[in-house]
Amino acid sequence: MRASIKRPPTPDAEEEEEDQHREASLEEIINIKLIESGEKERLKELLRERLNECGWKDDMKSFTRKKGRNNVTVDDLVHLITPKGRAAVPDSVKAELLQRIRSFLHSTPL
Amino acid sequence: MSASDEKNVSDDTQLASHFFGELLDSVIMDVASECHRIARLGLDRNLDDEEEELRLSAEARARVADPSNSEANSKYVVDIFGQTHPAVAAEIFDCMNCGRSIVAGRFAPHLEKCMGKGRKARVKSTRSSTAAAAQNR
Repeated sequence: MRASIKRPPTPDAEEEEEDQHREASLEEIINIKLIESGEKERLKELLRERLNECGWKDDMKSFTRKKGRNNVTVDDLVHLITPKGRAAVPDSVKAELLQRIRSFLHSTPL
Repeated sequence: MSASDEKNVSDDTQLASHFFGELLDSVIMDVASECHRIARLGLDRNLDDEEEELRLSAEARARVADPSNSEANSKYVVDIFGQTHPAVAAEIFDCMNCGRSIVAGRFAPHLEKCMGKGRKARVKSTRSSTAAAAQNR
């Protein structure tokens, strides 16, 4: 049986006030704009499509198969794939995505 | 470029890289989740067998394509079923034209002579063909 779920302690009144005054960082602002405009989803789909086309996904899948299938967790696989996956992205795919992100950054008023 | 312009460009690149990294991590997470599901459900058994087959056939293809193999010992090349074939087909059967026993590997040249030019075994002329030939002269 799991132990009862522990809730994080409710923040004090003091902390709440501080949160309200904290400014969102530039990253957070852009992230919100990306999500709200739907561009983040589009970018993710684009990335997925490109990685599929070039066989990156198949490479990653066969890589995980080699490592055996006994009681692996998703975490194990993520830690397994991440370094290899990051390195294996083709330069053209990376450049295309970076270009799209950059043009989004320039097109939104900040 | 002024110094502030350069800073803006590098900030841009840094931001873009940051978001690219986030997207990539997200995709990696999806792939890991999918592989995990396949591994736990045992769906990859079939895939493993297929892969083995692909690998073996690729090896066989490489062996066939390898030039050092073909000319010297072509009689002993193994096909995909593991059989070897002699260079000249050895089966013996009867020619349907003249009824003689012919070795399969020598059938084509035999048929040429049997049905065509040699040994006075020309096609028997029928009335219509001789008549047509006579007319054309």
